[in-house]
Amino acid sequence: MTSIVRSRAERLATFRSISVQLMEMLARWVPTTPEMEPKVLFGRHIWDFAQHADMLGRRTFELRAPLHFTLAPAADYQLLLTELPSVASTADRIALLYQGLLPGLANRYGHYLQTADAILDEPSVRIVERISADIVRMLAQSSELLGELPQFRCANSDQAREFGRREAMVAELVAADAGDRRMRA
Amino acid sequence: MDDFPKKTVRGVTLRADPPRESVFQVVQLDAEMHEYPGMVAQGQRERLHRHMSNEMGSLDIAAQCLSDFPQAPWELRLELARQAWDESRHVLALYRKLRKLGGRKGEFPIANFEWSVTCSLNTLAARLAVQNRTFEAGQLDLLGSLPRHWREAGDDEAAETLEAILNDEVQHVRFANRWLKELVRKEPGALLDVVRALQFLDIANQAISARDGEINAVGTPLATPQGKAIEVNIECRREAEFSEEEIRAAIRKAGMGSILPATDQRYA
Repeated sequence: MTSIVRSRAERLATFRSISVQLMEMLARWVPTTPEMEPKVLFGRHIWDFAQHADMLGRRTFELRAPLHFTLAPAADYQLLLTELPSVASTADRIALLYQGLLPGLANRYGHYLQTADAILDEPSVRIVERISADIVRMLAQSSELLGELPQFRCANSDQAREFGRREAMVAELVAADAGDRRMRA
Repeated sequence: MDDFPKKTVRGVTLRADPPRESVFQVVQLDAEMHEYPGMVAQGQRERLHRHMSNEMGSLDIAAQCLSDFPQAPWELRLELARQAWDESRHVLALYRKLRKLGGRKGEFPIANFEWSVTCSLNTLAARLAVQNRTFEAGQLDLLGSLPRHWREAGDDEAAETLEAILNDEVQHVRFANRWLKELVRKEPGALLDVVRALQFLDIANQAISARDGEINAVGTPLATPQGKAIEVNIECRREAEFSEEEIRAAIRKAGMGSILPATDQRYA
Protein backbone atom coordinates (compact mmCIF):
# COMPACT_ATOMS: atom_id res chain seq x y z
CA MET A 1 0.00 0.00 0.00
CA THR A 2 1.29 3.46 -0.85
CA SER A 3 2.04 5.85 1.97
CA ILE A 4 -0.59 8.36 0.78
CA VAL A 5 -3.34 5.74 0.95
CA ARG A 6 -2.08 4.57 4.34
CA SER A 7 -2.06 8.14 5.58
CA ARG A 8 -5.67 8.68 4.46
CA ALA A 9 -6.78 5.47 6.17
CA GLU A 10 -5.06 6.50 9.39
CA ARG A 11 -6.63 9.96 9.37
CA LEU A 12 -10.08 8.54 8.79
CA ALA A 13 -9.55 5.79 11.37
CA THR A 14 -8.61 8.49 13.88
CA PHE A 15 -11.75 10.48 13.07
CA ARG A 16 -13.66 7.24 13.51
CA SER A 17 -12.23 6.70 16.97
CA ILE A 18 -13.32 10.22 17.95
CA SER A 19 -16.84 9.63 16.59
CA VAL A 20 -17.21 6.35 18.48
CA GLN A 21 -15.97 7.91 21.69
CA LEU A 22 -18.34 10.86 21.34
CA MET A 23 -21.24 8.51 20.61
CA GLU A 24 -20.40 6.51 23.74
CA MET A 25 -20.01 9.66 25.80
CA LEU A 26 -23.45 10.91 24.81
CA ALA A 27 -24.88 7.45 25.50
CA ARG A 28 -23.46 7.77 29.00
CA TRP A 29 -24.72 11.31 29.42
CA VAL A 30 -28.31 10.69 28.27
CA PRO A 31 -29.52 8.61 31.25
CA THR A 32 -27.60 10.78 33.70
CA THR A 33 -28.98 14.09 32.42
CA PRO A 34 -32.13 14.89 34.41
CA GLU A 35 -33.46 17.68 32.19
CA MET A 36 -35.58 16.65 29.23
CA GLU A 37 -34.49 19.08 26.51
CA PRO A 38 -30.72 18.58 26.89
CA LYS A 39 -31.29 14.82 27.19
CA VAL A 40 -33.13 14.92 23.87
CA LEU A 41 -30.39 17.02 22.27
CA PHE A 42 -27.77 14.46 23.32
CA GLY A 43 -30.02 11.60 22.20
CA ARG A 44 -30.40 13.07 18.72
CA HIS A 45 -26.65 13.48 18.33
CA ILE A 46 -25.84 9.91 19.38
CA TRP A 47 -27.13 8.88 15.96
CA ASP A 48 -25.11 11.54 14.17
CA PHE A 49 -21.85 10.34 15.69
CA ALA A 50 -22.80 6.70 15.08
CA GLN A 51 -23.37 7.41 11.39
CA HIS A 52 -20.08 9.28 11.15
CA ALA A 53 -18.27 6.31 12.67
CA ASP A 54 -20.04 3.94 10.32
CA MET A 55 -19.26 5.90 7.15
CA LEU A 56 -15.64 6.40 8.15
CA GLY A 57 -15.26 2.74 9.08
CA ARG A 58 -16.55 1.58 5.72
CA ARG A 59 -14.24 3.96 3.93
CA THR A 60 -11.17 2.64 5.79
CA PHE A 61 -11.89 -0.75 4.25
CA GLU A 62 -11.92 0.82 0.79
CA LEU A 63 -8.50 2.23 1.66
CA ARG A 64 -7.23 -1.32 2.23
CA ALA A 65 -7.37 -1.14 6.01
CA PRO A 66 -9.67 -3.39 8.06
CA LEU A 67 -13.41 -2.67 8.03
CA HIS A 68 -14.16 -0.14 10.80
CA PHE A 69 -10.46 0.38 11.36
CA THR A 70 -10.12 2.63 14.42
CA LEU A 71 -7.08 4.45 15.78
CA ALA A 72 -7.09 6.40 19.02
CA PRO A 73 -6.00 10.01 18.40
CA ALA A 74 -2.80 11.63 19.62
CA ALA A 75 -2.37 11.41 23.38
CA ASP A 76 -3.19 15.08 24.10
CA TYR A 77 -6.43 14.85 22.16
CA GLN A 78 -7.28 11.49 23.70
CA LEU A 79 -6.86 13.07 27.12
CA LEU A 80 -9.62 15.56 26.26
CA LEU A 81 -11.89 12.72 25.17
CA THR A 82 -11.15 10.86 28.38
CA GLU A 83 -11.91 13.89 30.57
CA LEU A 84 -15.12 14.92 28.85
CA PRO A 85 -17.42 12.01 29.83
CA SER A 86 -16.90 12.63 33.54
CA VAL A 87 -18.34 16.16 33.39
CA ALA A 88 -21.41 16.09 35.61
CA SER A 89 -23.50 19.24 35.26
CA THR A 90 -25.75 19.63 32.25
CA ALA A 91 -24.62 23.19 31.50
CA ASP A 92 -20.96 22.15 31.63
CA ARG A 93 -21.64 19.18 29.36
CA ILE A 94 -23.26 21.41 26.75
CA ALA A 95 -20.55 24.04 27.00
CA LEU A 96 -17.59 21.69 26.81
CA LEU A 97 -18.95 19.60 23.96
CA TYR A 98 -20.59 22.24 21.78
CA GLN A 99 -18.38 25.23 22.54
CA GLY A 100 -15.18 23.52 23.69
CA LEU A 101 -14.66 20.49 21.47
CA LEU A 102 -16.89 20.41 18.39
CA PRO A 103 -15.87 23.71 16.73
CA GLY A 104 -12.27 22.52 16.72
CA LEU A 105 -13.27 19.12 15.39
CA ALA A 106 -15.20 20.86 12.62
CA ASN A 107 -12.01 22.76 11.75
CA ARG A 108 -10.10 19.50 11.56
CA TYR A 109 -12.60 18.04 9.13
CA GLY A 110 -12.38 21.33 7.20
CA HIS A 111 -8.62 20.94 7.05
CA TYR A 112 -9.04 17.44 5.65
CA LEU A 113 -11.22 18.87 2.88
CA GLN A 114 -8.73 21.63 2.12
CA THR A 115 -5.82 19.24 1.82
CA ALA A 116 -7.50 16.23 0.20
CA ASP A 117 -7.22 15.43 -3.48
CA ALA A 118 -10.74 16.24 -4.59
CA ILE A 119 -10.65 13.67 -7.38
CA LEU A 120 -8.51 10.80 -6.17
CA ASP A 121 -9.89 10.93 -2.61
CA GLU A 122 -13.41 12.02 -3.55
CA PRO A 123 -15.12 9.15 -1.70
CA SER A 124 -13.53 10.38 1.56
CA VAL A 125 -14.25 14.00 0.66
CA ARG A 126 -17.96 13.28 0.22
CA ILE A 127 -18.10 11.58 3.63
CA VAL A 128 -16.21 14.38 5.36
CA GLU A 129 -18.42 17.00 3.69
CA ARG A 130 -21.49 15.27 5.05
CA ILE A 131 -19.98 15.02 8.52
CA SER A 132 -19.02 18.70 8.43
CA ALA A 133 -22.58 19.66 7.51
CA ASP A 134 -23.89 17.51 10.37
CA ILE A 135 -21.60 19.22 12.86
CA VAL A 136 -22.77 22.64 11.69
CA ARG A 137 -26.37 21.49 12.32
CA MET A 138 -25.48 19.98 15.70
CA LEU A 139 -23.88 23.26 16.78
CA ALA A 140 -26.93 25.18 15.57
CA GLN A 141 -29.24 22.84 17.53
CA SER A 142 -27.26 23.36 20.71
CA SER A 143 -27.34 27.15 20.19
CA GLU A 144 -31.08 26.96 19.64
CA LEU A 145 -31.51 25.09 22.91
CA LEU A 146 -29.44 27.65 24.78
CA GLY A 147 -31.47 30.42 23.17
CA GLU A 148 -34.74 28.89 24.34
CA LEU A 149 -33.50 27.70 27.72
CA PRO A 150 -30.79 30.09 28.95
CA GLN A 151 -30.60 28.26 32.29
CA PHE A 152 -28.36 25.75 30.48
CA ARG A 153 -25.77 28.38 29.62
CA CYS A 154 -22.58 27.62 31.47
CA ALA A 155 -21.89 30.09 34.26
CA ASN A 156 -18.16 29.66 33.77
CA SER A 157 -17.51 30.20 30.07
CA ASP A 158 -13.74 30.23 30.73
CA GLN A 159 -13.95 26.48 31.19
CA ALA A 160 -15.22 25.89 27.64
CA ARG A 161 -12.75 28.41 26.24
CA GLU A 162 -9.88 26.66 28.01
CA PHE A 163 -11.08 23.30 26.70
CA GLY A 164 -11.23 24.74 23.18
CA ARG A 165 -7.75 26.19 23.62
CA ARG A 166 -6.37 22.81 24.62
CA GLU A 167 -8.12 21.22 21.63
CA ALA A 168 -6.55 23.76 19.30
CA MET A 169 -3.11 23.11 20.80
CA VAL A 170 -3.11 19.56 19.42
CA ALA A 171 -1.26 20.08 16.16
CA GLU A 172 -1.48 16.58 14.74
CA LEU A 173 -4.58 14.49 15.39
CA VAL A 174 -3.16 11.18 14.18
CA ALA A 175 -1.07 9.54 16.89
CA ALA A 176 2.65 9.43 16.19
CA ASP A 177 2.68 5.65 16.66
CA ALA A 178 -0.38 5.05 14.44
CA GLY A 179 1.66 3.01 11.98
CA ASP A 180 2.97 0.72 14.72
CA ARG A 181 -0.48 0.24 16.19
CA ARG A 182 -1.81 -0.50 12.76
CA MET A 183 0.72 -3.30 12.38
CA ARG A 184 -0.54 -4.82 15.61
CA ALA A 185 -4.24 -4.37 14.76
CA MET B 1 -22.78 -4.28 35.80
CA ASP B 2 -24.80 -5.01 38.94
CA ASP B 3 -23.20 -1.96 40.50
CA PHE B 4 -26.10 0.47 40.23
CA PRO B 5 -28.47 2.09 42.71
CA LYS B 6 -31.51 -0.02 43.53
CA LYS B 7 -35.01 0.45 44.91
CA THR B 8 -37.61 -1.95 46.27
CA VAL B 9 -41.21 -1.81 45.10
CA ARG B 10 -43.66 -4.11 46.87
CA GLY B 11 -40.86 -6.52 47.69
CA VAL B 12 -39.24 -6.56 44.23
CA THR B 13 -35.73 -5.13 43.87
CA LEU B 14 -35.36 -2.99 40.76
CA ARG B 15 -32.89 -0.48 39.39
CA ALA B 16 -33.46 2.94 40.95
CA ASP B 17 -35.17 5.60 38.85
CA PRO B 18 -33.04 7.60 36.43
CA PRO B 19 -32.64 11.25 37.46
CA ARG B 20 -35.51 13.49 36.42
CA GLU B 21 -35.79 17.26 36.71
CA SER B 22 -37.62 18.42 39.80
CA VAL B 23 -40.74 19.48 37.90
CA PHE B 24 -41.63 15.79 37.53
CA GLN B 25 -43.23 13.81 40.34
CA VAL B 26 -41.95 10.23 40.01
CA VAL B 27 -44.22 7.47 41.34
CA GLN B 28 -43.91 3.69 41.46
CA LEU B 29 -47.36 2.12 41.11
CA ASP B 30 -50.15 2.20 38.54
CA ALA B 31 -52.45 3.37 41.32
CA GLU B 32 -50.36 6.50 41.86
CA MET B 33 -50.68 7.61 38.24
CA HIS B 34 -53.37 10.07 37.12
CA GLU B 35 -55.01 8.05 34.37
CA TYR B 36 -58.48 9.35 33.45
CA PRO B 37 -61.22 7.38 31.75
CA GLY B 38 -62.09 8.14 28.12
CA MET B 39 -60.84 11.15 26.18
CA VAL B 40 -61.73 14.06 28.44
CA ALA B 41 -59.36 17.05 27.98
CA GLN B 42 -57.36 16.33 31.12
CA GLY B 43 -57.17 12.67 30.13
CA GLN B 44 -55.85 13.55 26.69
CA ARG B 45 -53.07 15.60 28.21
CA GLU B 46 -52.27 12.88 30.72
CA ARG B 47 -52.00 10.29 27.92
CA LEU B 48 -49.59 12.48 25.97
CA HIS B 49 -47.62 13.31 29.11
CA ARG B 50 -47.33 9.64 30.11
CA HIS B 51 -46.34 8.66 26.59
CA MET B 52 -43.74 11.44 26.46
CA SER B 53 -42.26 10.22 29.72
CA ASN B 54 -42.21 6.63 28.46
CA GLU B 55 -40.37 7.73 25.32
CA MET B 56 -37.87 9.55 27.52
CA GLY B 57 -37.38 6.27 29.38
CA SER B 58 -36.93 4.38 26.11
CA LEU B 59 -34.26 6.89 25.11
CA ASP B 60 -32.49 6.36 28.43
CA ILE B 61 -32.61 2.58 27.99
CA ALA B 62 -31.28 2.56 24.41
CA ALA B 63 -28.46 4.90 25.44
CA GLN B 64 -27.64 2.85 28.55
CA CYS B 65 -27.42 -0.32 26.41
CA LEU B 66 -25.08 1.46 24.00
CA SER B 67 -22.94 2.53 26.92
CA ASP B 68 -22.99 -0.78 28.83
CA PHE B 69 -22.19 -3.12 25.93
CA PRO B 70 -19.27 -1.69 23.93
CA GLN B 71 -18.35 -5.18 22.71
CA ALA B 72 -21.72 -5.75 21.01
CA PRO B 73 -21.56 -6.10 17.20
CA TRP B 74 -21.22 -2.71 15.52
CA GLU B 75 -24.39 -3.21 13.48
CA LEU B 76 -26.40 -3.81 16.66
CA ARG B 77 -24.88 -0.73 18.27
CA LEU B 78 -25.93 1.24 15.20
CA GLU B 79 -29.52 0.06 15.71
CA LEU B 80 -29.43 1.21 19.33
CA ALA B 81 -28.00 4.58 18.30
CA ARG B 82 -30.76 4.96 15.74
CA GLN B 83 -33.33 4.00 18.36
CA ALA B 84 -31.96 6.71 20.65
CA TRP B 85 -32.54 9.25 17.89
CA ASP B 86 -36.05 7.97 17.20
CA GLU B 87 -37.05 8.09 20.86
CA SER B 88 -35.63 11.62 21.13
CA ARG B 89 -37.81 12.73 18.25
CA HIS B 90 -40.82 11.02 19.83
CA VAL B 91 -40.30 12.99 23.03
CA LEU B 92 -40.13 16.22 21.04
CA ALA B 93 -43.25 15.43 18.99
CA LEU B 94 -45.31 14.46 22.03
CA TYR B 95 -44.13 17.50 24.00
CA ARG B 96 -45.05 19.74 21.07
CA LYS B 97 -48.55 18.23 20.99
CA LEU B 98 -48.91 18.36 24.76
CA ARG B 99 -48.14 22.08 24.76
CA LYS B 100 -50.63 22.69 21.94
CA LEU B 101 -53.29 21.17 24.17
CA GLY B 102 -52.30 23.51 26.98
CA GLY B 103 -50.29 20.93 28.90
CA ARG B 104 -46.90 21.23 30.50
CA LYS B 105 -43.98 19.14 31.69
CA GLY B 106 -44.68 17.79 35.15
CA GLU B 107 -48.44 18.30 34.94
CA PHE B 108 -49.00 14.65 35.93
CA PRO B 109 -47.00 12.03 37.83
CA ILE B 110 -44.68 9.77 35.83
CA ALA B 111 -43.22 6.31 36.41
CA ASN B 112 -40.00 4.70 35.16
CA PHE B 113 -41.04 1.07 35.33
CA GLU B 114 -39.52 0.05 31.98
CA TRP B 115 -36.15 1.53 32.90
CA SER B 116 -36.19 -0.01 36.35
CA VAL B 117 -36.90 -3.51 35.03
CA THR B 118 -34.83 -3.46 31.84
CA CYS B 119 -31.73 -1.86 33.28
CA SER B 120 -31.73 -4.32 36.20
CA LEU B 121 -30.75 -6.96 33.63
CA ASN B 122 -27.06 -7.48 32.91
CA THR B 123 -26.99 -8.89 29.39
CA LEU B 124 -27.92 -7.20 26.15
CA ALA B 125 -30.01 -10.19 25.06
CA ALA B 126 -32.09 -9.94 28.24
CA ARG B 127 -32.59 -6.20 27.78
CA LEU B 128 -33.61 -6.55 24.14
CA ALA B 129 -36.07 -9.29 25.10
CA VAL B 130 -37.70 -7.16 27.77
CA GLN B 131 -37.51 -3.61 26.42
CA ASN B 132 -37.79 -4.02 22.66
CA ARG B 133 -39.47 -7.36 22.28
CA THR B 134 -41.94 -7.01 25.15
CA PHE B 135 -42.50 -3.38 26.19
CA GLU B 136 -42.14 -1.93 22.71
CA ALA B 137 -44.15 -4.76 21.20
CA GLY B 138 -46.85 -3.81 23.71
CA GLN B 139 -46.60 -0.29 22.28
CA LEU B 140 -47.35 -1.70 18.84
CA ASP B 141 -50.62 -3.03 20.22
CA LEU B 142 -51.47 0.18 22.03
CA LEU B 143 -50.55 2.44 19.12
CA GLY B 144 -52.51 0.24 16.75
CA SER B 145 -55.78 1.38 18.32
CA LEU B 146 -55.02 4.74 19.97
CA PRO B 147 -55.02 6.86 16.79
CA ARG B 148 -58.62 5.80 16.19
CA HIS B 149 -59.64 7.14 19.61
CA TRP B 150 -57.91 10.47 18.92
CA ARG B 151 -59.64 10.76 15.54
CA GLU B 152 -62.98 10.01 17.17
CA ALA B 153 -62.18 12.85 19.58
CA GLY B 154 -61.56 15.11 16.55
CA ASP B 155 -57.79 15.36 16.87
CA ASP B 156 -56.23 14.13 13.63
CA GLU B 157 -52.90 15.74 14.48
CA ALA B 158 -52.49 13.62 17.60
CA ALA B 159 -53.51 10.54 15.62
CA GLU B 160 -50.88 11.26 12.98
CA THR B 161 -48.22 11.78 15.63
CA LEU B 162 -48.98 8.38 17.12
CA GLU B 163 -49.02 6.71 13.71
CA ALA B 164 -45.58 8.09 12.93
CA ILE B 165 -44.29 6.84 16.28
CA LEU B 166 -45.81 3.42 15.64
CA ASN B 167 -43.94 3.27 12.35
CA ASP B 168 -40.60 3.73 14.14
CA GLU B 169 -41.45 1.28 16.92
CA VAL B 170 -41.93 -1.53 14.40
CA GLN B 171 -38.26 -1.31 13.50
CA HIS B 172 -37.21 -1.24 17.17
CA VAL B 173 -39.03 -4.51 17.75
CA ARG B 174 -37.88 -6.01 14.45
CA PHE B 175 -34.19 -5.40 15.05
CA ALA B 176 -34.49 -6.95 18.49
CA ASN B 177 -36.17 -10.01 17.04
CA ARG B 178 -33.43 -10.36 14.44
CA TRP B 179 -30.57 -9.78 16.84
CA LEU B 180 -31.94 -12.04 19.54
CA LYS B 181 -31.96 -14.89 17.04
CA GLU B 182 -28.39 -14.08 16.11
CA LEU B 183 -27.20 -13.72 19.71
CA VAL B 184 -28.78 -17.04 20.69
CA ARG B 185 -27.34 -18.72 17.61
CA LYS B 186 -23.87 -17.54 18.52
CA GLU B 187 -24.25 -18.15 22.25
CA PRO B 188 -27.06 -20.56 23.16
CA GLY B 189 -26.73 -19.58 26.83
CA ALA B 190 -28.29 -16.23 25.91
CA LEU B 191 -31.62 -18.01 25.68
CA LEU B 192 -31.45 -18.75 29.39
CA ASP B 193 -30.81 -15.04 30.04
CA VAL B 194 -33.93 -14.24 28.04
CA VAL B 195 -36.09 -16.76 29.92
CA ARG B 196 -34.88 -15.49 33.30
CA ALA B 197 -35.47 -11.90 32.19
CA LEU B 198 -39.05 -12.62 31.21
CA GLN B 199 -39.66 -14.37 34.53
CA PHE B 200 -38.26 -11.33 36.32
CA LEU B 201 -40.51 -9.06 34.26
CA ASP B 202 -43.53 -11.15 35.21
CA ILE B 203 -42.74 -10.80 38.91
CA ALA B 204 -42.17 -7.05 38.58
CA ASN B 205 -45.39 -6.63 36.59
CA GLN B 206 -47.38 -8.38 39.29
CA ALA B 207 -45.87 -6.11 41.93
CA ILE B 208 -46.73 -2.77 40.35
CA SER B 209 -50.00 -3.61 38.63
CA ALA B 210 -53.37 -2.64 39.99
CA ARG B 211 -55.00 -4.95 42.51
CA ASP B 212 -58.61 -6.04 42.26
CA GLY B 213 -60.90 -3.10 43.05
CA GLU B 214 -58.06 -0.60 43.28
CA ILE B 215 -58.74 3.06 42.45
CA ASN B 216 -56.01 5.43 41.24
CA ALA B 217 -54.96 8.80 42.62
CA VAL B 218 -57.70 10.67 40.70
CA GLY B 219 -60.47 8.19 41.48
CA THR B 220 -60.41 6.13 38.30
CA PRO B 221 -61.13 2.43 38.92
CA LEU B 222 -58.18 0.40 37.63
CA ALA B 223 -58.37 -2.82 35.68
CA THR B 224 -56.17 -5.71 36.75
CA PRO B 225 -53.82 -7.02 34.03
CA GLN B 226 -56.30 -9.85 33.42
CA GLY B 227 -59.16 -7.38 33.06
CA LYS B 228 -57.46 -5.11 30.53
CA ALA B 229 -58.73 -5.40 26.96
CA ILE B 230 -55.73 -5.34 24.60
CA GLU B 231 -56.11 -5.28 20.84
CA VAL B 232 -53.17 -7.23 19.48
CA ASN B 233 -51.72 -5.44 16.46
CA ILE B 234 -51.31 -8.45 14.22
CA GLU B 235 -50.13 -6.54 11.15
CA CYS B 236 -47.38 -4.65 12.96
CA ARG B 237 -46.30 -7.71 14.94
CA ARG B 238 -45.88 -9.52 11.63
CA GLU B 239 -43.87 -6.62 10.21
CA ALA B 240 -41.75 -6.73 13.35
CA GLU B 241 -41.05 -10.39 12.49
CA PHE B 242 -42.80 -12.17 15.29
CA SER B 243 -43.64 -15.71 14.24
CA GLU B 244 -47.25 -16.72 13.71
CA GLU B 245 -46.99 -18.88 16.84
CA GLU B 246 -45.81 -15.88 18.86
CA ILE B 247 -48.68 -13.76 17.55
CA ARG B 248 -51.12 -16.53 18.52
CA ALA B 249 -49.62 -16.54 22.01
CA ALA B 250 -50.01 -12.74 22.26
CA ILE B 251 -53.65 -13.02 21.29
CA ARG B 252 -54.28 -15.73 23.86
CA LYS B 253 -52.50 -13.68 26.52
CA ALA B 254 -54.69 -10.69 25.64
CA GLY B 255 -57.69 -12.88 26.40
CA MET B 256 -59.00 -12.76 22.85
CA GLY B 257 -58.45 -16.36 21.84
CA SER B 258 -62.13 -17.13 22.12
CA ILE B 259 -63.19 -14.46 19.61
CA LEU B 260 -61.03 -15.86 16.84
CA PRO B 261 -62.66 -18.21 14.37
CA ALA B 262 -61.98 -21.76 15.48
CA THR B 263 -61.34 -22.68 11.86
CA ASP B 264 -58.57 -20.13 11.45
CA GLN B 265 -55.55 -22.37 11.52
CA ARG B 266 -53.18 -19.48 12.13
CA TYR B 267 -54.80 -18.22 15.30
CA ALA B 268 -56.86 -21.11 16.67
